[in-house]
Amino acid sequence: MTDTVLKLDNISKNFGPIKAADDINIEVGQTEFFALLGPSGSGKTTMLRMIAGLEKPDTGTISISGRDVTNEPPYRRGIGMVFQDFLLFPHKTVAENIMFPLKMQGASEKDKRENLQWVSNLVHLEGLEERYPHQLSGGQKQRVALARGLVSRPSLLLLDEPLANLDRELRKEMEVEIRRFQIELAIPFVYVTHNQEEAMTMSDRMAIMRDGKMEQVGEKFSLYHDPASQFVASFLGSPNAFEGVVSSVEEGIAQINWFGHSIRARAHDGLQPGDRAVCYVKSEKISMLESGGALTGVLRDIIFKGQYADYLVSLGDGHEITVSGAPMTGLKKGAPMHLDWDPGKADAFRAQGGAQ
Amino acid sequence: MTALRIGKGVQILLLAALYVFLYGPIIYITYVSFQANSVWPFPPEFTAKHYISLWNEENYHSGFVNSLAIGIGTGVIASVLATMAAVAILKYRVRRSVYIAGLFLMPLFIAHILIGVSSLMFNKMLLGLPGNIFSAILANATYATAFAFLVVVAQLARYDWRLDEAAMVFGATPGTTFREVTFPLIWPAILGAFIVSFLLAFNNLEISFYNLGATPTLPTLAWGSLRHGVSEELYALAALINVAVFIFLGVMYVLLRTGVVRLDYKD
Ligand SMILES: Nc1ncnc2c1ncn2[C@@H]1O[C@H](COP(=O)(O)OP(=O)(O)OP(=O)(O)O)[C@@H](O)[C@H]1O
Ligand SMILES: [Mg+2]
Repeated sequence: MTDTVLKLDNISKNFGPIKAADDINIEVGQTEFFALLGPSGSGKTTMLRMIAGLEKPDTGTISISGRDVTNEPPYRRGIGMVFQDFLLFPHKTVAENIMFPLKMQGASEKDKRENLQWVSNLVHLEGLEERYPHQLSGGQKQRVALARGLVSRPSLLLLDEPLANLDRELRKEMEVEIRRFQIELAIPFVYVTHNQEEAMTMSDRMAIMRDGKMEQVGEKFSLYHDPASQFVASFLGSPNAFEGVVSSVEEGIAQINWFGHSIRARAHDGLQPGDRAVCYVKSEKISMLESGGALTGVLRDIIFKGQYADYLVSLGDGHEITVSGAPMTGLKKGAPMHLDWDPGKADAFRAQGGAQ
Repeated sequence: MTALRIGKGVQILLLAALYVFLYGPIIYITYVSFQANSVWPFPPEFTAKHYISLWNEENYHSGFVNSLAIGIGTGVIASVLATMAAVAILKYRVRRSVYIAGLFLMPLFIAHILIGVSSLMFNKMLLGLPGNIFSAILANATYATAFAFLVVVAQLARYDWRLDEAAMVFGATPGTTFREVTFPLIWPAILGAFIVSFLLAFNNLEISFYNLGATPTLPTLAWGSLRHGVSEELYALAALINVAVFIFLGVMYVLLRTGVVRLDYKD
């Protein structure tokens, strides 16, 4: 990457026996929206705190805009941050909160006013400048926190689950807005979330974290469609899982015996015939055929979700498979179903002891 | 569960009894301070002679100034030390903070008279320092810091230190962070610690007595005069101190009501 702003090299951090970061390497470019996605406790916040300088990594280096800041205190890193609980200063007005980073830089009164004006327009806060944080709604607090993070035009903005405390409606609206700010400012955003829809909607690239490790980093499409590990395959989307023994592997496609059915998927982890494997197929990648198909069953229920529907198919031997597709009016419960998928769109991994 | 129900009349009576219990002695002392006969001041016979003799007694002037100096000096030392200790323990989570907190609280368990005697011996015999107002301030600060620490820690336990982290990320050095964020939010706790330690030192008899010798303070004067029966200026003195306290509370109340001063920003 030629325009790298943030670079983490071999970052590790332990809290006693807990590995909060385990040999992390990331690069984030100038105009990138980078999402850090992972379950609770996977080390996302710790990562942001290390980038901000609030936590010191045990090993590794962090550089921002080519400068090694590993040993710099937070106040010399020149980055902005939006905290999960907003952390607005309760004794300062909205205007004072927003102008705080500029005040710390020793900006002139005129500069401060101009930037306040600009950022209040950007995040739609006009007219609230003289209020105190306790006089604001959740969404307004969120905007003030964003404005404070952006006002000094930092070289990098960190966001820690900034939408977690908002209701769904507001969250959808803010997702679009935040992406708009990022494009307008053309600075990298590092966005932490455990909501994959949020990460998918906003980011260019994302990293999936688990137990302090980067499971996979890449374009969001490739992470979704080409998962490199079992965890990523099971974490993204709503996949069906099939566990069985590999009967053959040909041209990268594994054939798996699953309760007498033959399941086909791309082979990962160097699967060999005889290995136990688990295969993930995302529910929308399964197609419903007129006849034939790898699996047959009957339609047990339809869960209507608006733009699409989940079809729950019973296989007779007690197993159930979820297929997502366009809502159809013709299908009735109890109808015979024939399911199949392109083996190039399903992924099989070596089964870990005790996996589903 | 049935709530304990009491009638409105009983409630008012209880409340009145409570206030009589709390304020009766104060009002009585103020009343007596204006009476010619302080032993049995009925029927009333108003006079200002106790105030005049209090005013004419030079000893009380220097005693008041000395007590004030000891109170303020102790208050400043104790509240500053207590705040630093509380910040170290709560913000920086220093190692073995439980033991450190314990050490800060230790002086609470030592009788004042022992602190007085031992600090006199330590200062005078070991260090060769004469007993004076400064050694009295230092000696009072030992246990006043413990009280101040209790006050500050109890208040600061609710403080969200992540606000300090936020300030640092936005470019504030540790000093600026304290000035811009921490202090404006925690000053009521520090003021509380100052008031408590001021009052303790202002009113202290034993510690000041051993460290000051002949230098008078209000408590040592009052104690001295008690040996010859209650001298009548004491009523005037007590009444004046109460008035000062009421004025202080009144000013605080007005400041809080008008929003000039705010104690809590949580909604
Ligand atoms: N100061 C600390 N002391 C000890 N352990 C910590 C500390 N901070 C974090 N941890 C541990 O490190 C791990 C990663 O925590 P972190 O807060 O980074 O997770 P996260 O991915 O942000 O989770 P969430 O989605 O719940 O916010 C957790 O197991 C957590 O318990
Ligand atoms: Mg977190």
